[in-house]
Amino acid sequence: MSATDNGFSYAPLIDSVLNQDDARLLELVKDALGKGVSPEDIVTSGLQPAMGIVGEKYSTGEFFVPDMLLASRAVSRALAVLKPRLSSAGVPSRGRVVIGTVFGDIHDVGKNLVTTMLEGTGFQVVDLGINIPVSGFVKAVEEHKPDILGMSALVTTTMVVMAEVIKALKEADLRSRVKVIVGGAPVTKHYADYIGADGYGANGGDAAKLCRELVGK
Amino acid sequence: MMMTHKQRILAASRKQPVDKLPFGARIDLWYNYNKVHGTLPEKYRGLDMVDILRDLGAGIRQRHEYIWKETFRNVEIVDSDAPPYRTTEYRTPKGNVTRKVVFTQEEGTVAAYETEHMFKSAEDYAPIEYLIENTVLTIDQDKYLKAVQRVGEDGLVHVRASQSPMQEVMRKFMGFERFFFELADHRSQVEHLYEVTKELVWKKLKILAESPTEHVQVDGNWSDDIHTPVFRKYFVPYFREAVDYVHSKGKVTMVHMDGEVRRLIPMFLETGIDMAEAFCPAPMTSVTTADLRKAWGDRVVVWGGMPAILFEPQYSDEEFDAYVRKLFKEIAPGNAFIVGMGDNVPFDGNIERVGRIVELIDECGQLPIKA
Repeated sequence: MSATDNGFSYAPLIDSVLNQDDARLLELVKDALGKGVSPEDIVTSGLQPAMGIVGEKYSTGEFFVPDMLLASRAVSRALAVLKPRLSSAGVPSRGRVVIGTVFGDIHDVGKNLVTTMLEGTGFQVVDLGINIPVSGFVKAVEEHKPDILGMSALVTTTMVVMAEVIKALKEADLRSRVKVIVGGAPVTKHYADYIGADGYGANGGDAAKLCRELVGK
Repeated sequence: MMMTHKQRILAASRKQPVDKLPFGARIDLWYNYNKVHGTLPEKYRGLDMVDILRDLGAGIRQRHEYIWKETFRNVEIVDSDAPPYRTTEYRTPKGNVTRKVVFTQEEGTVAAYETEHMFKSAEDYAPIEYLIENTVLTIDQDKYLKAVQRVGEDGLVHVRASQSPMQEVMRKFMGFERFFFELADHRSQVEHLYEVTKELVWKKLKILAESPTEHVQVDGNWSDDIHTPVFRKYFVPYFREAVDYVHSKGKVTMVHMDGEVRRLIPMFLETGIDMAEAFCPAPMTSVTTADLRKAWGDRVVVWGGMPAILFEPQYSDEEFDAYVRKLFKEIAPGNAFIVGMGDNVPFDGNIERVGRIVELIDECGQLPIKA
């Protein structure tokens, strides 16, 4: 990772995220600000690339789920310091994602991990929560106009709701306006294709990569 | 004389010779959902799971609840209901803790899922530990014994067990995300809670090991999110002790392992656990049965191999047959393997496919199977 004109190197900052070292990360963020690096640059050239690497390391088996959780927590703490200093335009977003666990299903660990990875890599995420009825997803697509709709299910009893949502989006003439991705323990690429989704992610790292591909950024 | 389903399952679980592949089917999710919704196939209306599996010719893997009851000394328990939620407050001399569950009938029977765990902050360590230390277990196994009698030689009844100690801390008391944050921030307190939990888990394990059950479950719901370094440090040592103890009672140890377990595969052999039950292969996870056999050989008995989604309409009958035939080739010569679901037949699954597995075993599941 290259140094900035201000002589600040992003490499140690990225390392501190990868090492899940909150204290060191906050120290480096303050150092960057002191050297005149813009908060926007710290986010786009430091924190987001770091979370991208976290996702890749998870996908390749080098990192485990808790590594993602702790790296993400470190980034959240850094963002809390940066947010008051960000310009009114804020950090450019890669795109907007509406996400939720489908009706009848109250499991949220997988969904939360995907949310974490998406936010960490520059997406704006609208998290609807758990047990979201078909109408709730349709309404959220109408209201938030996301680039991507993500649905999660942990059990076979509830994953069928994903197909119902896709059908309802078609009936509401919204399907062509949003990419639909699905995931969760019983969900497979085969099932995603079967119900007409645009993509499937096996885990948080995959989902973030998939979203980047779908929005072309 | 031909072996019964029970004899075949028990023999395979002890790595002893069998005449053909044992099959222990689990269909309670399918059955409960369709019974409650009035959608059981006409010929099965009025029958229970045991009767249906007998009709299909399959061996039975029935799940039974705990064989103990839990009460607490010096703890006042106050429930407040706001359907579908119930909040339970445990008032102890060391402080109060609450947990909240939601009741859902989505899977047929009414199930309670935790939406708020007991542990919310460091103040909760003391009351939770008090609760654990003052838990009284009373053995209650009459219903289990009746279930065993009902299933008879047609299969096995597995008793629900406690999770392993650190899994209890992770899933029951804290919840997954908070557990890992706590472990990072307050490791010594988490470890103390683990030690307290371990004492109670051991009491439960001893009840199971002394009971008539042939297979003793030592943990459940494994998946890669247990995190391999944590698994090695906090799970493996417990399993080694637990396995030795259960073996001393002449029984087989097993774990319910129906999640994504690619990262845990190498660690399994360190635990000494005899059997991985409910193994769910690709396409539901990234691990094929061939991967598992390559890694373990027949050192670990596998009960599973049939991913739940294969029973669904998204797969044709031809695809289903091809999957089963390929599975049998992957496990050839077939030792130390019990065909079963990973981990159930889904609510919209085709129950006739359970019978189809029986036919395919008769056709090409005689041991030794040729690769």
